[in-house]
Amino acid sequence: MRKLAIAAAMAAILVSGTAFAEYPEKTINYIIPFNAGGESDVSARFQQPYLEELSGQSFVIQYMAGAGGAQAWSQLNGMEGDGYTIMGINLPHTILQPMEKDVGYETRDLTYINFFHYTPNALFVPKDSEFQNLQELIDYAKANPGLVTLSGSGSNSANHLGQVQFDELAGITTTYVPFSGTGPAVTAILGSQTTGGFNYVTSGVNNGDGMRMLAVASESRVKAFPNVPTFKELGLDIVGGAFRGVAVPKSTPEPIREKISQMVTNVNNNPEFQKKMEDAGFVLTDITYDFINDFVAAKSEEYREIAEKLGIANR
Amino acid sequence: MELLGYFVSALTPLNLLMALGGVVLGTVIGALPGLSATMAVAVLVPFTFTMDPATGLIALGAIYTGAIYGGAFAAILVNTPGTPSAIATTFDGFPMAKRGDGSLAVTLATLASVVGGLVGGVFLLLLSPPLAKVALAFGPPEYFWLAIFGLTLISALSVGNTLKGLLGGCIGLMLAMVGVAVVGGDIRFTMGTHTLLGGFDIVSALIGLYCIPVLIDLVATPDRHLKVEQGNRGIRLPEAFTLAWKSKFNVVRSAIVGTIVGILPGAGGSIAGLVSYSEARRSSKEPETFGKGAPDGLMATEAANNATVGGGFIPTLVLGIPGTPPDAIILGALLVQGIKIGPTLFSQQGDIVYTFIFGLLIATALMLPAGLLIGRYAYKSIASIPKTLLVPTIAFLTVIGSFAIHSNLHDVKMMLSLGVIGWILNRCGFAPSPIVLGLVLGKIAEQGFVQSYLIGNATNNITGMFFGRPISLAIVALAVFTLVYPLIFAKRKEKAQKRAIDAARTYAQSNGETTVTDVQEIKAPKFDPLAGIKKQIAKPRDLAGMVLSGLLILCAAWAFSETSNMTPMGSVFPGTISVAIIALSLALLLLNFARKPATANNADMATNVSVPRRIALVVVMAIWVFAIPVLGFATAAILAFLVLARIACYEIMGPKRLLIETLAAIAIVGGLYLLMADVLLIRMPAGLLF
Repeated sequence: MRKLAIAAAMAAILVSGTAFAEYPEKTINYIIPFNAGGESDVSARFQQPYLEELSGQSFVIQYMAGAGGAQAWSQLNGMEGDGYTIMGINLPHTILQPMEKDVGYETRDLTYINFFHYTPNALFVPKDSEFQNLQELIDYAKANPGLVTLSGSGSNSANHLGQVQFDELAGITTTYVPFSGTGPAVTAILGSQTTGGFNYVTSGVNNGDGMRMLAVASESRVKAFPNVPTFKELGLDIVGGAFRGVAVPKSTPEPIREKISQMVTNVNNNPEFQKKMEDAGFVLTDITYDFINDFVAAKSEEYREIAEKLGIANR
Repeated sequence: MELLGYFVSALTPLNLLMALGGVVLGTVIGALPGLSATMAVAVLVPFTFTMDPATGLIALGAIYTGAIYGGAFAAILVNTPGTPSAIATTFDGFPMAKRGDGSLAVTLATLASVVGGLVGGVFLLLLSPPLAKVALAFGPPEYFWLAIFGLTLISALSVGNTLKGLLGGCIGLMLAMVGVAVVGGDIRFTMGTHTLLGGFDIVSALIGLYCIPVLIDLVATPDRHLKVEQGNRGIRLPEAFTLAWKSKFNVVRSAIVGTIVGILPGAGGSIAGLVSYSEARRSSKEPETFGKGAPDGLMATEAANNATVGGGFIPTLVLGIPGTPPDAIILGALLVQGIKIGPTLFSQQGDIVYTFIFGLLIATALMLPAGLLIGRYAYKSIASIPKTLLVPTIAFLTVIGSFAIHSNLHDVKMMLSLGVIGWILNRCGFAPSPIVLGLVLGKIAEQGFVQSYLIGNATNNITGMFFGRPISLAIVALAVFTLVYPLIFAKRKEKAQKRAIDAARTYAQSNGETTVTDVQEIKAPKFDPLAGIKKQIAKPRDLAGMVLSGLLILCAAWAFSETSNMTPMGSVFPGTISVAIIALSLALLLLNFARKPATANNADMATNVSVPRRIALVVVMAIWVFAIPVLGFATAAILAFLVLARIACYEIMGPKRLLIETLAAIAIVGGLYLLMADVLLIRMPAGLLF
């Protein structure tokens, strides 16, 4: 009886092993939990042709916007875990949202596969702004508390956290004005509706002519903007932005998870892809499936500290 | 001359084929409510990577413009906007179709869409860089006032019933507040469920509020859906041309309004349609015909919404700021192709951009023959198909349409519930359009208001923020003008009437031979500010309205109590709206108490209206939605189709016809299922079967 069971288990492993070896065999749905045109969409579009070339299958990008991504993430585990549904996933979104309120998922319920890039925050002012560098803006804000308005994408978002850290470390008070996405937030800067804004570095590529980037919130300078100093260089320890990657439903088998992670990494290693992404202002990362959970756990602690300062760590 | 060269290069056979194919596919997708240009463009982007960039862009642009145009079909023929851009098309398009002018309405919509699309495209071609500045001049206060301007249309839509119109608008605004707030991040009115986190989806609300009532009323009587035209008058093109030529100023003005609104990234086709509809009504010589099938209203909306296509590409290409979701996808496609967006795009990569713009213009022009052909076919099939097929087909379209938005059954449930509530509200005198206006404009108004307030507060200049900016003031002036104009107009019309009769009388007295026999002395009405209220009080008491106002007060009181847990940013709008709802409901209650009780007249019951069939339809659709995850999408659809056909059946059918209609049911369900699952690649729920 026991032998039979072992044999059956062996057979099952063999069958499933060969089944997984064939993966992928059909079209893969790549769900973006935001509207088209944002950084998540654009980076997935960059990946798309390379993923298709690698796997020999088509990747269909679909949009499922709502509640800052929570609408899609809260449904992810209910989807079929056969490897043919993958979803874009963002940090700090999936850490901050459940920390603040019940949004239908918990940070650790999600199955993270691979974070393939990172967009640091950056502080922008309009092209014709009086502020030529960060110090001028800080001096002005010190002299006029609250008068400086900074646009950003959404409340309690990566951009918002950047503004809060900036206020605290520079010892100033600015007014954060949330907009419904990075697009409208950039438009507000371009049109001088606000003094400036926290946005992702990538916004500086498309709208480079209309805005001046004062500082970038990364460890080292971004390749697309070698002349823009980091906050750290200027004496403010602000490092922040958004990580983007892919996740799968919880029921997805382990071999498929590894295979997807490998595909994403392989695309990241393609020099042509690297050049395209870096020209567009993205910073490539290689946070693969084997240590992604440790990474998310470390980030969770880091963000909890900031969230507590912000007063949004309710859970 | 350089431009002419680009025009020639746009004329390759492949580009023409892409333009035509794109327009046809776009029109079909736009005509099906819920299926959107965004989906089609998103699926087709990878295919364009294998093409020359300009050719790929032409295909995508053609789908987009075709879809905006196609939205008019559903609006005219089944009173449901195929895309949000066509909301205002339903106001006059469906009444026209109802009275037997359906083919005229479709032809007019085609003409107006083509003209609008061409105007928008020409602006894109010639004036993009300067016009892009408009997008930047519009800040939060301007968006706030633009939304308020849109809301003033409620007063025009609910003449004689203003209180209920305003209440409907507030209900819509309140629905727009549900979910996670963009500004402030509060979770509002979700009642602890996760399904409402994303709020009420506008498209599923549109399908529910407009289409479900049509279905409920369709099964209630054996009458035809649309009145059949007298004789075979074809597409009535000459008649349409005459009408369009007569209102050429209206069409061109609407196209320009559409282009400008299209340039604003936060606005879009629905607002463009509403604003130009409102303007067309204001400047019309017969504003009272609007909403009852006025060709001018239909043409204004359709010219405006297709003009937003060209307008929307202006900030997309010049600034890298997409105006609409399809623009955003096309922008992404450009980025992936390695094309650098910005003001230099037009000078440095002119071959791609100008070829694309000419391709878009050609595609728009091709919409004329393609649209007339599709329109003729669509009208004929909707007008002549028996009710036993029409009712289940429309019901199936509402289900797939609301499902397709997020590949999710929650949207279908939401659509059906809103539809039933909308039908009840409509019976009580609350029209769906003010609710939809509130829902569409609520978020724009709120974000604009809170952002303006934050900026104004920071700079200690709140008044200046709202009332000190030239563009804002111009929009405020237009809004006030729209509100006050009908009053002035009524006076002026009265005077003109008096003058005409006076002239007739002098003529009669001088000559002795008169055609005016019953000349009446027109007395100027005495100044009586309470006349309107007196007239209202003279109406019979409206019991249903009273019950509803009571319910609304309860709901608003609950909503108001909920606002105490919110941040100041997140609570100001819902708080104000709930107070407004309470005030308006109280006013409605008081008004009804002042009225005399209604005499029992069951005029409605006397006619052969079948209440059981109405209930059966709603019940079957509800069961259908819950059966989808169990049975599978297609199986549930075919079963529901057959049951709904029986509910809509008023005649005895032979076995032959039954068989034919069953086969037709399978063909319709199968065809649309394939379109969704295999062309648009929407994830379908797998049940026991398929």
